[in-house]
Amino acid sequence: MSLAQSVAAPAEAAPQPRRGGWRWAMARLLRNPSARIGGSVLLLILFCAAFAPWVAPHDPLHVNTLGRLLPPSATNWLGTDEVGRDIASRLIFGTRYFLLICLIASTISGGFGILLGLVAGGGSALADTLIMRCTDMLLAFPYILLVLAIVAILGPSLWTAMAAVGIAGIPGYARLIRSVALTVKREEYVEAARALGASEAQIILSTVLPNTISPLIVYLSYATPIAALSAAALSFLGLGAQAPAPEWGAMLVNSRSFLFTAWWAVAAPGLAIFVAIFSMNLLGNGLRDVLDPRDV
Amino acid sequence: MSRYILRRLLMALPVVVGILLLTFLIQAVIPTDAVSAMYEGQVTEDEAAEAIAAMRERYGLDQPWYVQFVRYGANVLQGDFGESIRLRRPVSEEIGYRFVNTLTLTGVALLIGIGIGVPMGIISAAKKDTWLDVGAMTVGLLGISMPAFFFGLLLILVFAVWLMWIPVVPRGGAALLLPALTLGLIEAAPLSRIARSAMIEILRRDHIRAARSRGMGEFSVIMRHALPGTLLAVMTVIGLQFGNLLGGAFIIEVIFGWRGIGELGVKAIQWRDFALTQAIILISAGAHISANLLVDILYAWIDPRVDYDQ
Amino acid sequence: MPTRRSLLALSTLATSGLTATHARPAQAASAKELRYRLIEDPESLYSGQSVSLTVNTCLNFLHDRLVYIDAEGKPQPWLAESWSFSEDSRQITFKLRPGTKFHDGTDLDAAAVKFHFDTILDPKAASPVRGQIAALDSCDVLDLLTVRLSFSRPFAAAMILLASPTYGVNSPTAVQKAGRQYGRRPVGTGPFMFKSWSAGSEIVLVRNPRYRQLRPDAVNKGAPFADQITLSVLPEEGVAFSALQTGELSAAELQTDTVDRLRQDPRFAVVIDDKAKNLVFMEFSFRPPFDDRALRDAVSHAIDREAILRASYSGYGRINLNPLSSGIPGYDAAIGTQYGTPYDPEKAKALLAAAGWQPAAGGLRAKDGKPAKFAIRSYANPATDRALAVIQSNLAAVGIEVSVSTADWGTFYPSLLREGWDMTLNRWTYSDPLVMTNLFRPPGHRRNLPADEELTRLLTAVDSTLDPAERQKVVSESQKALLERRLILPILTSDQVTITQAGLQNYKFDYLNQILHGDVRMSDW
Repeated sequence: MSLAQSVAAPAEAAPQPRRGGWRWAMARLLRNPSARIGGSVLLLILFCAAFAPWVAPHDPLHVNTLGRLLPPSATNWLGTDEVGRDIASRLIFGTRYFLLICLIASTISGGFGILLGLVAGGGSALADTLIMRCTDMLLAFPYILLVLAIVAILGPSLWTAMAAVGIAGIPGYARLIRSVALTVKREEYVEAARALGASEAQIILSTVLPNTISPLIVYLSYATPIAALSAAALSFLGLGAQAPAPEWGAMLVNSRSFLFTAWWAVAAPGLAIFVAIFSMNLLGNGLRDVLDPRDV
Repeated sequence: MSRYILRRLLMALPVVVGILLLTFLIQAVIPTDAVSAMYEGQVTEDEAAEAIAAMRERYGLDQPWYVQFVRYGANVLQGDFGESIRLRRPVSEEIGYRFVNTLTLTGVALLIGIGIGVPMGIISAAKKDTWLDVGAMTVGLLGISMPAFFFGLLLILVFAVWLMWIPVVPRGGAALLLPALTLGLIEAAPLSRIARSAMIEILRRDHIRAARSRGMGEFSVIMRHALPGTLLAVMTVIGLQFGNLLGGAFIIEVIFGWRGIGELGVKAIQWRDFALTQAIILISAGAHISANLLVDILYAWIDPRVDYDQ
Repeated sequence: MPTRRSLLALSTLATSGLTATHARPAQAASAKELRYRLIEDPESLYSGQSVSLTVNTCLNFLHDRLVYIDAEGKPQPWLAESWSFSEDSRQITFKLRPGTKFHDGTDLDAAAVKFHFDTILDPKAASPVRGQIAALDSCDVLDLLTVRLSFSRPFAAAMILLASPTYGVNSPTAVQKAGRQYGRRPVGTGPFMFKSWSAGSEIVLVRNPRYRQLRPDAVNKGAPFADQITLSVLPEEGVAFSALQTGELSAAELQTDTVDRLRQDPRFAVVIDDKAKNLVFMEFSFRPPFDDRALRDAVSHAIDREAILRASYSGYGRINLNPLSSGIPGYDAAIGTQYGTPYDPEKAKALLAAAGWQPAAGGLRAKDGKPAKFAIRSYANPATDRALAVIQSNLAAVGIEVSVSTADWGTFYPSLLREGWDMTLNRWTYSDPLVMTNLFRPPGHRRNLPADEELTRLLTAVDSTLDPAERQKVVSESQKALLERRLILPILTSDQVTITQAGLQNYKFDYLNQILHGDVRMSDW
């Protein structure tokens, strides 16, 4: 969704950080303030996800209809929701869903995107044309309707939502990898390898693939938060995670009618999504500074 | 040049047909059709079976999907987009004004986005690596990190409920304000980043250095020499991303009840009203493809070095 | 008499179409305008061509009907001054009142009524309403003001159907003139006339100066008090809530969560429609292990209805032990008390144990090595989501784990015809006991119920018995039969709650939950 994807365009075909290799890149990243802040928040989210049962003060699914929409207090740090569940605990358990969505959606988009991009960029002209026309189709297909159609076929569930978001993200990755492949294939050392009798497949695996890593990381850092936001938007349409899963998007949607009466029930998941995405973007910003020298 | 345009149009054709084919395939595998989506739960009598069958027959839903596809294709070529089962009227009548609404929303949002994002990006680039740059880029990141529907609700709360600057119930021109502002502010973020990158790159170029060395003030350098190139870069990205822009507008339409094609599209899929869905997909794909084409033509026109045959 | 679908508010539309609004004070001074909320954009305003609840809500401004249903649920004359049934109860002959005019000045006569029903019956028109009144065979003009409807069988639902706005008669002249555009420029006989439908999601209606109200239960027998009605499409609950506060709406139906806050506020009045005819209930798949009555019985005792009422509807409503909404005539409270399944988790546990479901690992019960893990389906809606959360925790408390999935109605409801679910949570609105027949006469509305001669006989009698005393008997027996078989787990009936500006008068719901719009006014007019 939105122009944000286009921001990644400059990352296309960026060369590797040859200056100092990965260790050098890592060191620079650690010095980058925006990456440090973003990374720390994401580590905190990871921590919450891993140790949710120990971190959370209450059972996120425990319903108490006599204690609905209580304001924040010492027992319920962030108050309670529309059926009396502890919001703080739900947010903490929600980190698991957040990470899961990011992981699965990116794996689907990235996995298929890389595969298609390599075949298009490294294979025959026919394969290239076919694959590129298909990604054109996916790009021209109104995103939200595509996702809705996929959900209509598979039935709504968290998995469907993740798959739908993942599928919609494929063209971006495919185009990126293809352009890297096309650039790398023209490099002299690749020509040399070809002259020495290396097969196309070998060339792709040995030379093209390693070169995609750096732009891929940069693109990933942009596309993942967008995927997470799309999943939240699906929840808005009632097509994402199923109740009573403490998924942030669903929490926000279910509580949105309380914006004027019990603001904490809306603000908590809204801010959680916002902070998580923001820190991903911060980290991505730092990654781009480090890995994409053209913009430094 | 005209050969180039023609070739590009021919290339777009399989994409459009492919999209259409895809929508019919989707229709074929979705378990419910428009008639059952409308009747289910309303009618439990067996007697209604006849009426339901009559309805399916009238809208051609009793045919296999490929027959429907061919029929639809033939009708579209004659300018007939069929009739919506739910709305009980020709699709073209409904889509027309809604598409205008969507374009209006997108256009105004873009103006807001450009109006805010481009100056922000330029200032960032001019004051690169200062607190101003960091501040502007952070604000920009805030913009793309906000779920659109959450942002929309906050805007309603602030402007309509607290400040009471605009009516809560959308009427006339005021109806456009909040959705356009929401979308515009969200789009301002990436636009500012594009403007910044483009400006930084341009400022490094030789002719800028030359202008500077001639003693030209930084402000004039930016306004006279760097701005046109930056705007071109921004327009390019907007053109290439037009489909995504429309997609962003769709969700905003749903939130604010703005009667554009996106809001209708979401309903159309829930209704399983495929005549509507197909028209909406066709028209937005068409808009996306033509925007891309326009950008390319613009480029070819500006930069004669573009190889039309490649 | 039962009504089919216009009254058959699908739960998806739980919040029906309308909520009224009053203009900001400044605007109110210049014109007598009432402003209401529409929850969604109506598809078209062509009466007889849509089964949507929101459309129905709008049509009520534009169309009077042949009959109306009085507070006791009995049909009374409206545009028809009288009617008679044929010997075999399959034909109804209506005598129309002379002198009723459409908004375009043409006469409402027998030919116009026939024209209207023909647009529904015409197979080429493929009207969705056709399915609703499928028993209707034909409509014939007997003389200028006499018209006869013929049904294929005695159709108990006929009168309630005919009283709903979907059956408001259109002006044939206007329909012929407007052609396919008619749905965007409707012409009826009602208190308000269509003026405009702007792309900015607003429908404007104006006062019908020639209007005369024939219903004795109306306050205003002449033209409506208000000069203009504006219907604004406001899907977001929060937006409608703030529009009420800024005075931009005269009234709005709201989810009950916000109601308490406005209740204390002297600027607003709360209108509770206690004649609500909905029922929130659970059903079972009848596939193993739910073919076992003992399991259904246990589950039925495990559900805390009060908690659901609090969580989903903030307490606005009544818990219900009967398989029939308490707002429907024929509701027999004694049956519920005697055969119902009040909340009793200890009893539920005992019943489960007796049925062979013994506690196993992690507090979860199991029978014959099969753990008590089941799937429950419902439609996506804030109220159902919360009810499901309660149900899930109730069942967990007795050792049953349920997974929940919700979807939009068009996905959820058809999916019940296939396997993959054990229970559903549903909400049905209907004005007549016939709802039991529609849902539960084997094989049932989702084709999952076992053959049952006794039940079929009873529910068929509910459909075809026209004598009131006889009917009450079979209706009571049917309630008992459904409960005894644990076919349905009734939960509650929710109230329809509308917030109005304090000065709004006569905003009242009739038996079919419709408002007499000609009566509504602001106190300072």
